[in-house]
Amino acid sequence: MSSNGQQTPDLHAKQVFTTGEAAEICKVSQQTIIRCFDSGRLNGFRVPGSRFRRIPREELIQFMRDNGIPIEQITSSKKRILVVDDDPQIVELMVDLLSRDDRYEVKTAMTGYDAGMMTEQFKPDLIILDYMLPDINGNIVCQTIRANGELSETRIIIVSGVVNQDEIHDLLKAGADEFVKKPFNIEQLQSRITSLLEA
Amino acid sequence: MVTNELTKPRRIELILRQIDSLPTLPAIATRLLALTSDENAEVREVISLISSDPALTAKVLALCKTADRGLRQEVMNVDKAVVLLGFNAIRNAVLSVKVYELFRPDPDDVPGDVTRRDNMLRPSIEPVDREEAERFDRAAFWTHSLAVACLAELIARGSSAHQDLNPDEAFVCGLLHDVGKLALDHVLPKSFARVVELADLNQGNIAEFERRIVGIDHHTAGKRLAEQWQLPHALQDCIWLHGSPYDTLPNIEHRRLVGLVALADVIVRRQHLGYSGNFTFKEEEITLAGKLGIDPDVVADAIEGLHDTLESRGKALGINDTPSKELFLDAIQRANIALGRLNHALDLRGRTAAIQSRILEGITTFHAQAGPGRSVQDMLDSVVESASTVFGPGFFAMLYPEPGHAHGHATWLVSQYTDEGAPLHSQYAEAPPHTPDLSQFDASQPMGVNLMGILPWVADYLVNAEDVRDVRLLPLSCGWGTVAVLLHDRQQLPNWSMLQSLVHTWGAAIGAAAQHDGARRLGEELAESNSALAEAQDRLLRQESMARLGEMAAGAAHEMNNPLAVISGRSQLLSMTLTPGSKEQQAAQTIFKEAHRLSDLITCLHMFADPPRANRRPVNLLSLLDATIKAARGAQRNRDQVVPIYLQVKEDLPSLEVDPEQLQQAVSELVHNAIQASPKDSVSVQARVVSAEHLLLIQVVDDGDGMDQHTLDHAMDPFFSDKPAGRRVGMGLPRAQQLALAHGGRLDLRSTPGEGTVATLTIPLEPAA
Repeated sequence: MSSNGQQTPDLHAKQVFTTGEAAEICKVSQQTIIRCFDSGRLNGFRVPGSRFRRIPREELIQFMRDNGIPIEQITSSKKRILVVDDDPQIVELMVDLLSRDDRYEVKTAMTGYDAGMMTEQFKPDLIILDYMLPDINGNIVCQTIRANGELSETRIIIVSGVVNQDEIHDLLKAGADEFVKKPFNIEQLQSRITSLLEA
Repeated sequence: MVTNELTKPRRIELILRQIDSLPTLPAIATRLLALTSDENAEVREVISLISSDPALTAKVLALCKTADRGLRQEVMNVDKAVVLLGFNAIRNAVLSVKVYELFRPDPDDVPGDVTRRDNMLRPSIEPVDREEAERFDRAAFWTHSLAVACLAELIARGSSAHQDLNPDEAFVCGLLHDVGKLALDHVLPKSFARVVELADLNQGNIAEFERRIVGIDHHTAGKRLAEQWQLPHALQDCIWLHGSPYDTLPNIEHRRLVGLVALADVIVRRQHLGYSGNFTFKEEEITLAGKLGIDPDVVADAIEGLHDTLESRGKALGINDTPSKELFLDAIQRANIALGRLNHALDLRGRTAAIQSRILEGITTFHAQAGPGRSVQDMLDSVVESASTVFGPGFFAMLYPEPGHAHGHATWLVSQYTDEGAPLHSQYAEAPPHTPDLSQFDASQPMGVNLMGILPWVADYLVNAEDVRDVRLLPLSCGWGTVAVLLHDRQQLPNWSMLQSLVHTWGAAIGAAAQHDGARRLGEELAESNSALAEAQDRLLRQESMARLGEMAAGAAHEMNNPLAVISGRSQLLSMTLTPGSKEQQAAQTIFKEAHRLSDLITCLHMFADPPRANRRPVNLLSLLDATIKAARGAQRNRDQVVPIYLQVKEDLPSLEVDPEQLQQAVSELVHNAIQASPKDSVSVQARVVSAEHLLLIQVVDDGDGMDQHTLDHAMDPFFSDKPAGRRVGMGLPRAQQLALAHGGRLDLRSTPGEGTVATLTIPLEPAA
């Protein structure tokens, strides 16, 4: 299992798996994976010009769910949180706060563009999003995330120093799950994060 | 006139050229004139010249004979005459005879050569129309000229002291002073006939009409002719200047001679001897004689002898055969005609003046009555009163279209009056569509415009108007058109040229009154809208300053809440790491709390930029207020002095739809404010519903310090506080007001310093649907 221990972080980050890797994650034989792949029960593709089978992450997770295989191995027990704010002090505060809790894996972005990139790669479970970003407004980010089917499970907390009722309404309509006013009580923020992630 | 095509300067030029080409004086006269300047006159030649013309000889002899009654010896031949009378007398006699012959009234009598030349040179400027009814009466003209000549001679003879007044010279100057008229009549018979006609008609100065019609007067024409004929300078000047006032004459050698001719001219015209065409008298003969230094007795004697002299001299010249008696009668007759004309003209003027004075009187009285600043109705009444004075009693009514309805349904004010012009009654009438534009009717039509033909519907508004068929319209106009219409039953109004000024005065007065009315109404409206504007501006200013403050707060909220979030978050994290209950942890918690208080203040300010909206839902008011008061009591726990807070509510308060959080906050702000006022006794919260008006009234009453007017005025300003600086600043009342506004309600404060304050929240319940 020592190898597992070494491989697991890598496997967690991978987007495409070989049949061997998939077998390891699912704790089944490689042959089983190949059989399922060939029978179409596990979707994937062959590397062009060769017969190597490759399985995208989403397909593997789907396969594991379908067959009752625990998915913790691939998704890990840690919840991924993306903090987006143009104020480095806020970002630092958030990171400081959230990393105290080892259930969370935290990444940060300081612009809307970065946030989009990170969302694609990191597939966060929760985004703590500052409404006023230098390049884009929070509602656009919300809409973009909600338009992406892969991110349907992603929760969004909007944080803003300006409380405008109309804007809050628009944000909630655009797909935000929570609105938190700056300055916030970190205890309250933590409880909201917890309840959103457990839902 | 044929010559109409010619421009005036060109025409004058043409006339002058024609005058230049007039027949020259016969050789004998020219020769005689040439000899005057020659001392060694070749008398013999002259004598033989005269002698060669038997008719001339006879006339010259006759002339010389009568010229000097003192001459005992009868002058039988020219030789003797020249010797006895002197060369100048002979020369003048010949000149007179020849000039007269040149412009003879009857061409048949003129010696052949002259006539032919005259006919040959008949000017072509105007065709001669012998049928022309009125022509220049040459016989009468010569009578006038001769009379002037004789009179000038007589006066000159009487004033023998005056060396410069030679009787012979005076005679010829007098005879020829108006020769310019002959020249004009000769060149432009038709135009000159018109000149004569007009001068007669107007009893004016013929020279004026000459200038107007012909372009030059007989003075100028005569001067030109005299130059052409090379007449002596004295004669030229007499011809040229005899019409000028004596004082204006240049200081020439023969100034007095010119004056003498002018004097003789005036006297002869006064005597109505002959015809000159001039009916005006510039200078009194006595005055003129005085200026000339001539004894009035001499003038009087001369006038006495005038008729006899005229008769004999006329006979001698062949000018006028009329005996002196007939001449006298003729003069009287002419005087009578002139008098008659004058009388007629005076009579006409008198009648015109009578009407004019009536109208003028009308205008004067109207002006006296119709002072400025009167209403339109007053002005209409005044106009009718004035009209009844000027036109006399009769039917009168007034139509006044209300301004501002140029098209479509116009409202007209129809006022009716008694026959004497007193107001009877007045009413507004709706003018039917397509009512014609009144301004297009010509008020100057003699018969006026009939009412029934144009505005038949008006008859419906006229009471007791038995016969409106005769009612006529008189539009009263001012600068911008017809302002009103006077209805009257007069068949004939005074001549429009005279009436015009009165009608315009009326129209202008009504127009001014209409303007004044409009201006007054406008002024009142302006005053109203002014005060409304001032109020609105006040409100706006307040709102604007609030909104600006809010905008600022919104900006501040964004910029400040980020650092506050860091301060608050960091202090919280810090406090977690510190020993619970330690001083350090308390400090960290204080940092956290203050950061949030600061943020609250910013949020509160932001309310002014983005007023909150009420989220109404069914609420049990009683329990809401109860909870609010309990919280307020709790907040007092740490104070030294606890103020009792009572709730006074009827138990049967219905369930109401309000925003519970907002209402609770508002009430709690008011209660807090009441407690701050240090009440002597207590604070009470009262609530009731005014069902009729769908209002919820919540009153928070204290018997504390109260507020003065200044504090009341600013109580709802954010950060205003009557407390000394450093105490908690007042965001409570502004916030409560904003929350009331969120419900469409308001917050009112009533306060007396030292007695306490009543704060009333008025919250509309259901929008009356």
